[in-house]
Amino acid sequence: MKLDPSFIGEALLKLLEALPTTLAITAVSVGCGFLAGTAIALVRVYRVPVLHRLAAAWVTVIRGTPMLVHLLVIYAGLTLIVDTLTGRLGLGWNSARIPMIGFAYLSFSVTASAYCSEIIRSGLLAVDKGQREAAQSLGMTAMQTLRRIIFPQALAASVPNLTNFVIGMLHGSTLAFVVSVVDINAKAEIVASTNWKFFEAYLAAAILFWAMTILLERAGGAIERRINRYHKGGVA
Amino acid sequence: MGLPFDISYVFSFVPKLASTLLLTLGIVAGSLLSGLLFGLIAALPRLYRIPVLQQASVAYASFFRGTPILIQLFLIYYGLPELLKMAHIDVTRTPVLVFVILTYGLHTGAFVSETIRGAVMAVDRGQVEAAYALGMTGPQAFLRIAAPQALAIAVPVLANQTLALLKDTSLAFTLGVMEMSGKAQSLARITQHFLEAYLALALLYLAVAFILEKLLLAAERRLLRHERPGEAAGRFRLRRGLTLRKLASGLQGGTPS
Repeated sequence: MKLDPSFIGEALLKLLEALPTTLAITAVSVGCGFLAGTAIALVRVYRVPVLHRLAAAWVTVIRGTPMLVHLLVIYAGLTLIVDTLTGRLGLGWNSARIPMIGFAYLSFSVTASAYCSEIIRSGLLAVDKGQREAAQSLGMTAMQTLRRIIFPQALAASVPNLTNFVIGMLHGSTLAFVVSVVDINAKAEIVASTNWKFFEAYLAAAILFWAMTILLERAGGAIERRINRYHKGGVA
Repeated sequence: MGLPFDISYVFSFVPKLASTLLLTLGIVAGSLLSGLLFGLIAALPRLYRIPVLQQASVAYASFFRGTPILIQLFLIYYGLPELLKMAHIDVTRTPVLVFVILTYGLHTGAFVSETIRGAVMAVDRGQVEAAYALGMTGPQAFLRIAAPQALAIAVPVLANQTLALLKDTSLAFTLGVMEMSGKAQSLARITQHFLEAYLALALLYLAVAFILEKLLLAAERRLLRHERPGEAAGRFRLRRGLTLRKLASGLQGGTPS
């Protein structure tokens, strides 16, 4: 078995077929994770009774267990619950009707919600207390203060963390092979084993991920610069 | 699929999984030690701006931070023997565990090198200049003056990276290593009690992560007992505002694993 450089390009083309799946999983998990994470962060920052303890426990449990375990538990748990329920109610269908990618969406969103909530929480805490006091003294309601004053500053402070988070979710999406979803990683294995060229196939996958990561880093850097234009401080 | 849920299986699975805990912790320890070594080796050329080596170090950190650990595992497991074969070194009899620890070590090393670099850069330049003015040599200035101060900034970030490493080791099963996750999956298949096995696995990871976090915190306090609280972060803020946020990205453990 010799290294075949030309096969890397060939493998790269085949891996591009699986690119939309990887991007879809990343986009869905980042999107849902961001929404759920914002809700969790707000509950914790404003110390909503009872709920803020639950939110803290949720974040601890999710961050204390690997992403793989979330996927395994949700896959096994959800199929068990759905099959038991549909069996009892006699609906005549079972969990096999749920598309496999749905489990990946749900599970990675769960993972993302905990990590994202910590990022947003630290962003919210970074906003000076005087900002909220000033907004309220101008007669803004709590919602207005949040939307006009707190969120823009909190998100601006979180941009570097959020970039890292999106990259983390992109890399995490390779776990989708566990529930038989063919993303770039799974495609690489298929290409590798059908052609018996493992090194070349995984090298192509690594190049693809590396390129996407660099693009995301650049995009994050550009957004950061754009925001910091208004963020200079001083008087002039 | 699977048999009806029975909570008693969760408790019977926990001790069975705990028997593989030592292997998981062994992978973590081996990877952490090699990661610290790789990280330090990779950070030095960038700190002292050594041409060529500096660029190589940037490429190394960028690659291992820019690709998923899962891809890296396969790449090294399949690729390294091929590359070494060209150099006429036969590694086909090397145990899988060596490749696993090497991959995690290289992966951790990339993050460690960035942490070390960031921490050393955060130490005020005047400190090293003062050391030189007192007649210290380069290594003396680094070891006696810069390193202890950098440690105060790096240690909390390194603690977080250790916890991330623990969770990342759950992927070693893909190469057939029977660590905790691999064992849980085979137990689940044999008994057909999937959810119970994975819940037991989650409980164990949670317990280990919790204990490890407490231990790391204690080690952090012991190592940084000469630092006044908040001093390290305060010094960071004085230099430049943006780096504080970059540091926080390490502190908050912003990337999922």
